[in-house]
Amino acid sequence: MDPSRIAAALLAWSVGVASTFAADVLDPFALSEVAPGNFVHYGSLEERAPGNMGDQANIGFIVGEKCVAVIDTGGSAAVGRALRAAIRRTTDRPVCWIILTHVHPDHFFGTAAFREDRAVVIGHENLPRSMGQRARPYLNALKRDLGDHAAGSEVIPPTQLVRDETVLDLGGRTIRIKAWPVAHTDNDVTVFDERTGTLWLGDLLFVSHTPVVDGKITGFLEVLDTLSRVSVQRFVPGHGKTDAPWPQALEPERDYLALIVRETRAAIKRRKTIEEATDEVGLSERDKWVNFDDFHRRNVTTAYTELEWE
Amino acid sequence: MNPLCKGLLAGLLLVLPLGAAVANEKAEPDPAKSQYWPPIRQMMFGEREILDGKDVVRVYLSTRADDASTVPVAVKAQIDQTPGQYIKQVYLIVERNPSPAAGIFQFTPDSGRAQVETRLRFEDFSFVRAIAETNDGKLYMASRWVKAAGGCSAPGDKNRMPANLVGTMKFRFADETVEAHKPALVQLMIRHPNESALASDFDDTRTPQFVRQVKVTYAGKTIMSADVDFSISDNPSFRFYFVPEKEGELQAIVEDTHDKRYVHREIIVEGVPLPGG
Repeated sequence: MDPSRIAAALLAWSVGVASTFAADVLDPFALSEVAPGNFVHYGSLEERAPGNMGDQANIGFIVGEKCVAVIDTGGSAAVGRALRAAIRRTTDRPVCWIILTHVHPDHFFGTAAFREDRAVVIGHENLPRSMGQRARPYLNALKRDLGDHAAGSEVIPPTQLVRDETVLDLGGRTIRIKAWPVAHTDNDVTVFDERTGTLWLGDLLFVSHTPVVDGKITGFLEVLDTLSRVSVQRFVPGHGKTDAPWPQALEPERDYLALIVRETRAAIKRRKTIEEATDEVGLSERDKWVNFDDFHRRNVTTAYTELEWE
Repeated sequence: MNPLCKGLLAGLLLVLPLGAAVANEKAEPDPAKSQYWPPIRQMMFGEREILDGKDVVRVYLSTRADDASTVPVAVKAQIDQTPGQYIKQVYLIVERNPSPAAGIFQFTPDSGRAQVETRLRFEDFSFVRAIAETNDGKLYMASRWVKAAGGCSAPGDKNRMPANLVGTMKFRFADETVEAHKPALVQLMIRHPNESALASDFDDTRTPQFVRQVKVTYAGKTIMSADVDFSISDNPSFRFYFVPEKEGELQAIVEDTHDKRYVHREIIVEGVPLPGG
């Protein structure tokens, strides 16, 4: 498959022209330097709405002596522009790479804001196909939720693909991009900054925000198990923030997913239908998570369709 | 696929405004005023009268779906299947899908009840229409509004199953045993990616492959058959009734768009424990 052809095709799906609304809502665009040279903007835990312009995901960048690598670009061109402005206030190094952690629109719709940087967009080898399949419905939904604030947002797929691991030299600083098996989605990557031991997890880690399973729930648990054995000094979740130490910070999410697996298996064993299972599985977790009613039943649906074949 | 369904696919893909405006769809619209319904109705039913279905057929779905690629739906007859009066066909339509005719299900008096549960994909917020055709040729319609979007294109990427698993089937029974002459509910599960024709928009290396026909017999008599397409979720699931005897064979024959044919059989004996748990 020819990425440039895909890119050309996808450009057709862009949502009109750039707007100037961004500055008001996203100013000030807060950045936290979680480790030297690692800057995070924590997104909102609220649902996507014109008032937040699609600023849901935790996004940010790593600064080397030669180059900046952006990790996710936010849920709209407006968020992407705010991130780009924040980078320009922080460093004069050019943005050489944009790493997209996975296919969800709160993480990638800001990429258009970096067009003039001519940065190389990097993602999991499964990402172009998944983005191509979802481009139109994602843009329709963005427009439905943000209205005029969706302007300028585009689906821009990666041109450099990660199959196993890709190592980038930002100048005196090495980062490792690792592609994972099917878990949160079928195209999750993590980014590890070797100098500070900082791991950017994308949506392999949800904190406070209800975890979302759009891949394979048993695969998600296996990946968390592998991650819990990795030595990490600092970490950045895809949503939410925490003071919990590593790897204990993974536990609430792991417990939630494991409970769904356990209770869904039990429901299937008792000959419950998919509707009955979504009505009863995992409800004891409701008070522990934000946006539970928006995502939990969907997770049970995904789990059921996976586990009914065991 | 029967000629009607094929005609629909070819025709509607051209006729419908697929990229239509998405603004202002938060309120539940009036099923009689949907702009998407008249061309579908015209193509499928021409000038035939369609009566209010509330005493004949009902359609059950959550109004706000949790996962647009897997939306459980149940179509339930409100009348008994008797040789004198029965539902012979149910058309299940998702108005806004690229190929709106999700399934055309045929029943017989041997079906026990005209009822089918399956799982649907939704490309956009849409009315679902279930139209029952009784043996006297009358049409009855039930409608329901569903808020779910993006589900036609979403799947396919998370379900790359090994080729040797495609076409594997299971029967899953609602009860542990069956009783002769008492209608029993069974779920036919088909392992199949049911790839949406949309999945190939930006990737011409794959030809979409989806289930197009399902036929289930019991003791040699057809109890349910269906022409279906990619509005049905991956790993298609159909749950319906049959009326068991003391002993008999349940058989499912499934065909997909690559002309692959899959067969699954199971002997059902009264009182003997059945799979499903």
